[in-house]
Amino acid sequence: MNEAAEAAGLATGDLLADARAKAEFLQVRDADPVADDAALRRLALWATRYTPTASPWNEDNGADGFFLDIAGSAHLFGGEEKLLADLASRLQKNFGLSARLAVADTPGAAWALSRFHKSPSCVLSSGQEAAALAPLPIAALRLKPETRSVLRRLGFKTVGSLLDKPRAPFAARFPTELLRRVDQALGRIDEPLVPVVAPPVYHALRYLIEPIFTHDAIIAHANRLMQTLVHVLTRDDVGARALRLCLYNVDGAVEIIDIGLTLPTRNVSHVARLIELKLEVLAATCDAGFGFEAIGLAVTCAEPMPARQTELTSAADDGDRTERCASLIDALRQRLGPHSVRRFEPVASHLPERAEVLPPIDGEATAWPEPEQKPRPLLLLPHAEPAEDVTALVPDGPPRRFSWRGVTYDITGAQGPERIGAEWWRHREPKPTRDYYLVEDSAGHRFWLFREGLYGRETAQAQWFVHGLFA
Amino acid sequence: MGFAQPNPVPIAALARNRAAVMEELRRLIPRMGEQRKPLPLGLAAIDSHLPDGGLVCGALHEIVPETESCIAAAFGFIAAVLARISSPPPPGPRLRAPEWGREQQARLPRTPPLLFVTPAHGLRPYRPHGRLHGHGLNALGLDPARLILVETAHRKETLWAMEEAVRSAAPAAVVGAIDTLDLKMSQRLHLAATDAGVPLVLLRPASTLESSAAATRWRIGAAQAARDRFGLVTQPRWHLQLERCRNGRPGQWVVEYDHVAHCFSLAAALADFSRARGAGEKSIKQAS
Repeated sequence: MNEAAEAAGLATGDLLADARAKAEFLQVRDADPVADDAALRRLALWATRYTPTASPWNEDNGADGFFLDIAGSAHLFGGEEKLLADLASRLQKNFGLSARLAVADTPGAAWALSRFHKSPSCVLSSGQEAAALAPLPIAALRLKPETRSVLRRLGFKTVGSLLDKPRAPFAARFPTELLRRVDQALGRIDEPLVPVVAPPVYHALRYLIEPIFTHDAIIAHANRLMQTLVHVLTRDDVGARALRLCLYNVDGAVEIIDIGLTLPTRNVSHVARLIELKLEVLAATCDAGFGFEAIGLAVTCAEPMPARQTELTSAADDGDRTERCASLIDALRQRLGPHSVRRFEPVASHLPERAEVLPPIDGEATAWPEPEQKPRPLLLLPHAEPAEDVTALVPDGPPRRFSWRGVTYDITGAQGPERIGAEWWRHREPKPTRDYYLVEDSAGHRFWLFREGLYGRETAQAQWFVHGLFA
Repeated sequence: MGFAQPNPVPIAALARNRAAVMEELRRLIPRMGEQRKPLPLGLAAIDSHLPDGGLVCGALHEIVPETESCIAAAFGFIAAVLARISSPPPPGPRLRAPEWGREQQARLPRTPPLLFVTPAHGLRPYRPHGRLHGHGLNALGLDPARLILVETAHRKETLWAMEEAVRSAAPAAVVGAIDTLDLKMSQRLHLAATDAGVPLVLLRPASTLESSAAATRWRIGAAQAARDRFGLVTQPRWHLQLERCRNGRPGQWVVEYDHVAHCFSLAAALADFSRARGAGEKSIKQAS
């Protein structure tokens, strides 16, 4: 409900026809909760400039605001009142929003005050929750409409009328929600906040007097932030495994750059290079707009990284190579995407297409078993492709000729079969057995063919497939 | 990103001091020798044919399949050459605390990895020929755990990834599949490989004819495999054609590869297919 609507005398819950009668300038759109939610998330992201923990409200809370956990960060702005004033003026200036703000010890009390307190911005001192909430209506407790209507029928108008009553009858009469909300508002039980982005382990933020636009400037500032973080990381003997760079645009948008690292690092120049790579990729999609007015760098995942002595003896050091390798993987992942750098991992399965996976590199390489004496192709087709016009001397013998992708191959040597049964424990309906043959044509091309289904038992007409190519 | 020139020698400034020039050259020459350390194929016939006694490590090498259907043979030759790149000797006693960074060390293989850069959509002119199979690499004697696969969305990314990998000098070798490559780009890649001393192997389509800065270009064709007396395939054979070789002559060989000893040898009985065929039929009869 904005000011113009209030001036026209509209109220929440009006029928559309009534509202149109009151204000003929009214424009009507369908509600779009998903877009509302996304907008609220963006706003909460913007608010991470005040504190890393910003939690947009869900349906139960009305989905029209967010909590900020400003414990420990209010002094950076010169106190809670100053922080509220700054927040209000920025919301007004950047987004044109007139916000109702409240600071309290519990999220519940802050929620109630922000909705029902007389002034649009108030700070509640510690321990005053019960006194402050007492005169507020029952709706200040974030209750479901049905609970609220029952309470109203019973004659409870204000929170205060509930607080001095014995708890046991309420617990018996009402869902647990009522007492939980009361306890949450008064701080008797904790209310966990779901932050919009994972709260960082270490965090550094820098406000800029002049907005910045260029990649060089962003990297220079990120460099300085990383330098401040390195002191803390060194003190705690940890290195960063994941970093997040937040760029706060003047117009309120927040650009987030996530950086994953293969090994924990405290290397400023390495991090700067990864940011540079990501900025290059983002250059096409991300628009600096009016520039960035604040820049934050957070360590979201830290791992132990003991200090080490640099090598005096040899230049071509083993550990050095490991580090170079890790930074190469980081750089490739940063530029090409986290899923484009992969490694082979064996899987205990006889089916060739299941016998290995290609997960993105993370952590230690799995050791491969010694190769078995069975032929395995160097190239495996993504899907077995049907071989046509297959002729064989006997129905369940090796093929003598086949066509694949429009070319006919005359087979001069065949080796097999290697019978691979289906994994009956994985499928409800049985899959046919495969007989694999290594075949070679007169020109020396080697293929891996299989016949699907056993004659007589599983099928009457077996189908041939090409599954791989041998070197 | 400019090219790092290998320490330009201000000859003019040093011209007066002959001793200083000699000193500077003495400093540079061992480095050149180190970079040009060749990778022998372990087959005297080929190694003596190549000008450096093997494939030069810090250089660009092109592998081209004879026809589209020989792509597996080309991959096989690359895998065989890479398997020959030996791992470094185990590290000796070091001046460091015994528990230092063991976790970090264990996370990556001790032997330097091999990097494969392939376009996600496959090599352009070919129909999808499948992807590398870990067990197949294992059977060719190349440990799949050493391999890092990089998938790229387009040509520009492939070139960038290859250059980045070579410049970092972290992998033991870099392999890339790329369709078109102009002379300038190949010179750039060759320089990067020379600077870092890392071999860069390019898999090119069969139609490749244009000139490039590569040290060697090999055309690989399929050949009938070596079989034992039961008609079972023992060793793959390839028809190698050294099409282009800097400072050297072209040549042709039919080689077979021993995946256990990691060595090439000349194929012995080239045309004796009749025996293999007869043996094959015998085994079929036994099987049925």
